[in-house]
This record gives sequence, C-alpha cells and structure tokens, in this order.
Amino acid sequence: MKLLVCIKQVPDLESRFKPDAAGVWYNETDLAFRMNEYDEYAVEQAVQLREKLGEGTELTVLSIGPDRVVEAVKKALAMGCDNAVHIQDTAASSKDPWQIASIIAAYAKDKGFDIIFTGMQSQDRGSAQVGVTVAEQLGYPSTTTIVGFDFDNGTITAKRELEGGIKGIVTMKTPALVTCQLGLNIPRYPTLPNIMKAKKKEITAIPVADLLSTDALATTTSFHPPAKKGGGIVLEGDVGDLVEKVIALLKDKTAVLR
Amino acid sequence: MEVTRQIYWNVGHGVVIPMYILAGAAFGVLAWGFWQRLPIWRQGKALDRFDRYDERIKKMIAEVFSQSKIFRVTDGGVFHSIFFWSFLILFAGTMMVMFQADFFTPVLQVNILSGEFYKAFSLVLDIAGILALVMLAGLFIRRFVVQPKGLEIVKDDYIVLQLLFAILITGFLIEGARMAATELQQNPALALFSPGGLLVGQLFTTMTPGTLLVTHKILWWLHFVLVLGFFCAIPYTKLRHIFTTSVNAFFAPFEAKGSIATINMEDDTVEQFGAAAIADLTWKDIFDADACTSCKRCQDRCPAYATDKPLSPMKIVKQIGELAEGNPTGNLIETVSQDALWACTTCRACQDICPANIEHVNKILEMRRNLTLMEGAFPGDEVRTAISNIEVNGNPFGLAYASRGDWADGLPVTLMEQDSDVDILYFVGCYASFDKRNQAVARNFITICAAAGVKVGILGKEEKCCGEPPRKLGNEYLYQMTANENIELIKAYGVKKIVTTCPHCFNTLARDYKDLGLDVPVEHYSTYINTLLDSDRLTLTPEPFNFTYHDSCYIGRYMDIIKQPRAILAQAGGSITDMDKSGCDSFCCSAGGGRIIAEEKLGTKISEARIKMATDTGAPLLVSNCPFCLTMFEDGIKTGGAEGQLQVRDLAEIVAERITA
Repeated sequence: MKLLVCIKQVPDLESRFKPDAAGVWYNETDLAFRMNEYDEYAVEQAVQLREKLGEGTELTVLSIGPDRVVEAVKKALAMGCDNAVHIQDTAASSKDPWQIASIIAAYAKDKGFDIIFTGMQSQDRGSAQVGVTVAEQLGYPSTTTIVGFDFDNGTITAKRELEGGIKGIVTMKTPALVTCQLGLNIPRYPTLPNIMKAKKKEITAIPVADLLSTDALATTTSFHPPAKKGGGIVLEGDVGDLVEKVIALLKDKTAVLR
Repeated sequence: MEVTRQIYWNVGHGVVIPMYILAGAAFGVLAWGFWQRLPIWRQGKALDRFDRYDERIKKMIAEVFSQSKIFRVTDGGVFHSIFFWSFLILFAGTMMVMFQADFFTPVLQVNILSGEFYKAFSLVLDIAGILALVMLAGLFIRRFVVQPKGLEIVKDDYIVLQLLFAILITGFLIEGARMAATELQQNPALALFSPGGLLVGQLFTTMTPGTLLVTHKILWWLHFVLVLGFFCAIPYTKLRHIFTTSVNAFFAPFEAKGSIATINMEDDTVEQFGAAAIADLTWKDIFDADACTSCKRCQDRCPAYATDKPLSPMKIVKQIGELAEGNPTGNLIETVSQDALWACTTCRACQDICPANIEHVNKILEMRRNLTLMEGAFPGDEVRTAISNIEVNGNPFGLAYASRGDWADGLPVTLMEQDSDVDILYFVGCYASFDKRNQAVARNFITICAAAGVKVGILGKEEKCCGEPPRKLGNEYLYQMTANENIELIKAYGVKKIVTTCPHCFNTLARDYKDLGLDVPVEHYSTYINTLLDSDRLTLTPEPFNFTYHDSCYIGRYMDIIKQPRAILAQAGGSITDMDKSGCDSFCCSAGGGRIIAEEKLGTKISEARIKMATDTGAPLLVSNCPFCLTMFEDGIKTGGAEGQLQVRDLAEIVAERITA
C-alpha cells in the first residue's frame, strides 16, 4: 500500500506578525516556524496506519515551500514516514489553495497512493480547501475534519466532527483522502533513534515549476491587522443619571434610536 | 615481675593449628561470598572508577575511619560511629594478641603485652568492649523499640544484632572466667585494669576450679565459633556493608557534583539510550545497591517522599539490586515506576546525605533518558507542550522568541549583536526573560550592575533556553540542540565572563556546557554581587529587616554557595533566622529536575511544605535567589494560605533597594 501525508510549515501563532512589503502576506522576520498542528495529527494517523500494515507499505511525506520546510519534513520522517518529497517553492505563500492543491495532485496523480492524509486546514491561511481540492483533482472520495480513523480491508471508517458537537461516521473505499482534526490522536514525540534514522531517509527535491501548470483562482489583496476599535467608556454614578447618559450616547453615536 | 597475661591460658597452644585452619576456612567462605556477587556487579556497563587510586584510597580511609558521613546524622549515627571505633579497637587488640602469641613470642622472644603497656591495653580494650555493648544496645533499642519512621526490620537485623551481642558477651564471659581463676586471686590490683572482666568475673567466683576451667574452655570455643560466624556472615547479610560501603568511598565520583554523562549525538551506531534494563546501568549503579545499608537517610530528606509521592531514593537503589540479582532482564522502569521517576526534583538531598556514596540522581536521570529518548514519554501533556515550545521558540512558555529581550527596554543593557564589548554577558534565562515576577529580578540585577559601573550585555532574542529542564527530564537531544546554539553565539561574541541569576542556567553553563566545548568563567549573581561589595564597587546603605533564607538546591548543595548570599543580606541590614533545613540540608522548592514545567499532580505540594518551614521561623520575609524557587514560593504562599504572613523576595530586589546613592 502507498500512503501520502501532506504537511505545511507554519509560523508559531505566538509570533509577532507584521505585513510584508507588498502588504499581501506576513513578513517572515522574527517568526518561529513549526509543523501545522492539524498536519501533525495527519502524520500521526498515517504513521499509525503504516505501523499497523507493516512491511510492504510505504508512507511518503510531502511539503511545499522554501528550504526551511525541510525541518518540518524531518520531523515527519522522525515520527515514522518512510521518505519525503520537498517541492521547492520560495513563493509558496503567494499561491492560492487551488494552485497548492494542483501541485500536490500533479505529483500524486501517477503514484497510485491508496490513502492521502492532510490537516483539515493550515493555521496561517486557514482556507481548509487544499485537502478536498486534491481529492477532487485526483477523483478520490474524501472526508473532512476527522476525529476517528479506522482502516480495514480496503475500507476507511472515519468519524467526523460536525457542528454543535455532533459526530458523523463515514465509510469510503480506497483510494481516498481524509483531512484531520484536533482530537484524532496525540502526535508522538520522535524518539532519538528515529531522529537519527530520519537523517538518512531520502528527501526528493522537486522544483515547483515541474508540477505547477495552473494560475491562481483567488488573489490575496491585503494583509493587515484588524482596525483598532475605539476605547470603551465606563459610566459611573446614580442609576437614573446613567440611564439618561446611555440614551444620550445611543442617540448621539448610534443609529438604533433614530 | 612485670604484669602480663598468658595467652592461650587454659585452652593451651594445641588450639593454634585448628584455630588457624578454621579461621582460614571462614575467610574462604567470606571471599567466596563476595566472589559470587562479582557476576551480579559485572552485568553493568563499564565505568572507570579505578583511576587516581591513591586519592581514592586516601578518601576511603579518611571516610571509613573518621565515620564523618555517618556521624553527620546523630540519630543512629552516634551509636554506629562509637560502636565502629570500639569494635575496631577490639579487632586491633585481637590482632595484637595474635601477633604476640604467634610471632613476637615464638620468633622474636619479646613480650610487648606486658608491664604498663599491658595495663593500658587491657583497660582500653575493656572500655571499648563496654562501649560497644552499650552502643549495640542503643542500636537495638532504636530499631526494635523506638522504630523511627521508615526504618525497616528485616531478617538480617535479627541475625546481625544477635551475633554481635553474642560475640561481645561471650568475650566478657571468657575474660571473667579467666580472671576468676587467675587475676582475681593472684593480682587483684591488675584486675582493676579490666573493669568489664572484673565485674563479670564475680559470676564465676563460686564455681569449683575444675568447673571453671571447663566452662572457660567451652566459652572460648563458643566465642571463637561466633567470631568465625561473623566473618562468614559478612557477604550474605547486611554485614556486607563493612566491605561494600567502605569500598564505595573508593569508587565515589571525582567529577564536579551534578555531572551527567554527555551523550555523543554524532555516534549513529548507538541505538539504545538511557537505562531500560540492568545491563544499561553501570556496574557502579549495581554495586551501589550492595553498598546501601537501608539507613533511609535519603528517603528522610527526599522532598517527593515527604509529600507523599511514590518516590523513595532508597527504594530505587534496592529495586536495582533486587532486579540485578533476581531478574536481570526484567523491566527496570516498570519495576521502579514512571511516577517515581518523574517525581524526582534532582535536588540531590539523597546523594548528599548518603553515608555510602551512592549516586541516586544519575540513576533516575538514566531511566528518564530512556523514557524520553526511546519512548517519547512525558510526565504529562503540559510537559509535552512546554518541550515543544522550547523546540520552536526557545522557551517553555511558547512566547515569541523575538520578544525575549523586551524586558530590558529602556534599561542600561547592551545587545550583544550590536556591541559585544561588555564586562559581563548576563545570561538571562527563560524565567527572567518572560515571567513577569522574575523580570523584576532581571531589572533589579541591571540596576545593581549599573550602580557598580558594570557594562552588561545580553543576547536578547538570540538567547535560548539553557536546556536544563529538558536535560533533567531526560531529553539530552533537545538539551544539546539549544546548548550548542547558545555556545556558538557565546563563542562568536568572544564573551569573557557570564553571570546568571538562575541557578539552573548557572550549573548548566558553568559545568555542563564544558562538555560541549564552552570554557568561559560563569558566575551566579550571589557570588558576583558579593564580590562587587567586597571590592567596594558597590556599597549598600543597610536598612534593618528580619528574614529567612532558602538555599536553592543548585546553589547550595550543588555549588556550595551558602555563605555569600547570607553575607550580602547581612550587609543589606538583614537579621537571619534560618530554617531547620538550610545550607546543604535545604529542602527543595519542587521545581528542580525539569519539574518547573510539570504540574505536581501526586501527593501534597512541596512548595507549601517549604513555605510552612519558612513561616515556622516567624520571619515575615523569605529571600531566595532562583527564579524557579521564587515562582514556586509565590504560588505556595497563595495556595498554602500564608498570604499576609510571609512575603518572598529575590536577593537582587533586596540589594537594589539599598544601593548607596
């Protein structure tokens, strides 16, 4: 069996974000990067399946981005992926989800992957589109935001998280794609022997130009912090006076009483 | 005629040959017993503890004969030490008799045991015998009547105590019988030099001479057989400590306190890290179990044990011994239990007090290494998060690494990346960089340095966690990763001197970083400020205050910095009331050993126990000099209900307030 897990390296959310010079994405200075949280669940689930299936199963990890993403790839290898593909792209952040999905699909289309794992969304852009678009382009069935996963005899049984705490169960025949949500598992901490072994695992580098053939469908026009809201007012004093003040304020500053 | 004593009186010289044959056989049994233990010890990994043997021998002799480590705790220690010295005198006396009878008399025809010397010899040995009996009685009462908490009673205790009592009592009985037949009648004045024998001799005065001689002979043989039994019992009972504990003083480490073996991360042939089984430990770790006398002093001082956590350092040492002997391939970590391993604060109180030179802490660390490096295990999810935060942002809080130097905004501090020509590099550490309470300490330290005209540099956002908490939790990989990055920076800036306000950073940079190639003098601010004061670069205007002082484990016990902080606080006008547990006997705050990033889920809170000790002194102020301690005590005061009664402040805060303008 062939498994693929797609990961993204994202800035740590505690970092200080500043817009870049063009004002369409964040400036990378002073940012600390790590593997996208949801992708960690995807890697863990893929590795668990890889371990369950044993010999004859190959788990590939894929990431698109500049050279720094190799750090995240190495972590996935240390967690138990067999080999890696680094699609080299210094401008990955300017691509829209359609293009990213097209790149992955272009890579995966003739590889015969039985199951593809992705995170349900990235922590930085958060479009939640890449996984499902990859499935669409490959003609795979897919299910999203899974919090439970089981695979037996060519059938995936996935538990999905729906609105309002409701869960749903989905079964799919492979080949298929799942996007992983918090609660699916607890990603393992790589052991030292596996970190050492990961250093020797193969990372295939592919220039993005070899795989990209589509234009963006969506364009990011601006990246900026939310506008600062006006300060609040604390009113104090007698209740009767306060009512008068509130009414005056509502008349003066809002449209509710007009 | 000069007074003397006829050796082999009544039993006759005919006993000499059978006596030596039997003694030889007993020593054979003794040697065989230890020989059989050799393969148990040898299951462990190699470790060179045979170097510098002259120093080792000196250390062993000094420790064994002075009984200094045993005497340090009076309960049990006084009895044991005096018993040891008395028994040693009796043994030496017996040796002298042996040499006299079988060497000096037949070969050299001289009698040393005569005249005034004999009188002194006789008196000293009798007093030693009486003292030994009294001390043995004391030890007996302690173990079986008083029964201090945690002191176990095992089969060996009955055997050993009975044997020793029997040897001492039969010794006096033989003497009494001999004296009843000889000295008491012929030379009563000489009998005064054997007060024990004189007293016991009264039992035999009514016996007929014939019965007396037979009784004496029987007693002689009984005593002799008991003594042989004693030698035979050494390797098979607790008595083995006479050999193993003494020898363990020879094997004691010479490395700086707190040294941990630095794993070679370049060697990719190694596939096993830390200790999961007996064979992963060193032979010394296994030998330690045989050197343990179950005196439970380690357990008495363990902060985890004292607060009902499933950790007893003694128990771990014993479990290693039991496994090595009974089930060498058994699961070491399961035997000890993860909860016990994670509970350790590496405060070193156990190792410091151990009279047998047992190395408890590194055993625990080796097992933690296995858990972390081989299993990816954590004491809790909060630790998993903190470790991941260190990996990503270089601090356990997960705050943006780029804001690490923000605390110093507007202060007279130089960023090394802008100007590395500074007097000292202040290695700030994670807590003083990010934790609000400890940022106050950092700012006060800068105030002190500025007043003393010291130009201080910091690494700012380039600094990373020193790696101490991960390392003590067993994560050598993460430790070396952050350590190497720090070292590279420090080297690149040509730093001449480093000062820290954190004892954990201090220990790590000063000692552990040496193994990774950093050789720059590192000081803790406790000694640094003290030097500034001594050299008059800094002067304080004292304001009186009453306080108690908490010796941080990694400053006191690990680094022997005990007087300097007290000296600073005295110069600041402070009057100290020390807690019972202070100096090298200090009680951990709970945050060592990486526990700072772990929640204390088991037992009661260590910090509250320590706060209780502080309030018991009646002092309104607790002074500490460690960010971890400060954090735990601020917490312990709140949760322990000591608010309004006790305040905790850092050394730097006290000093900064009193700088002479």
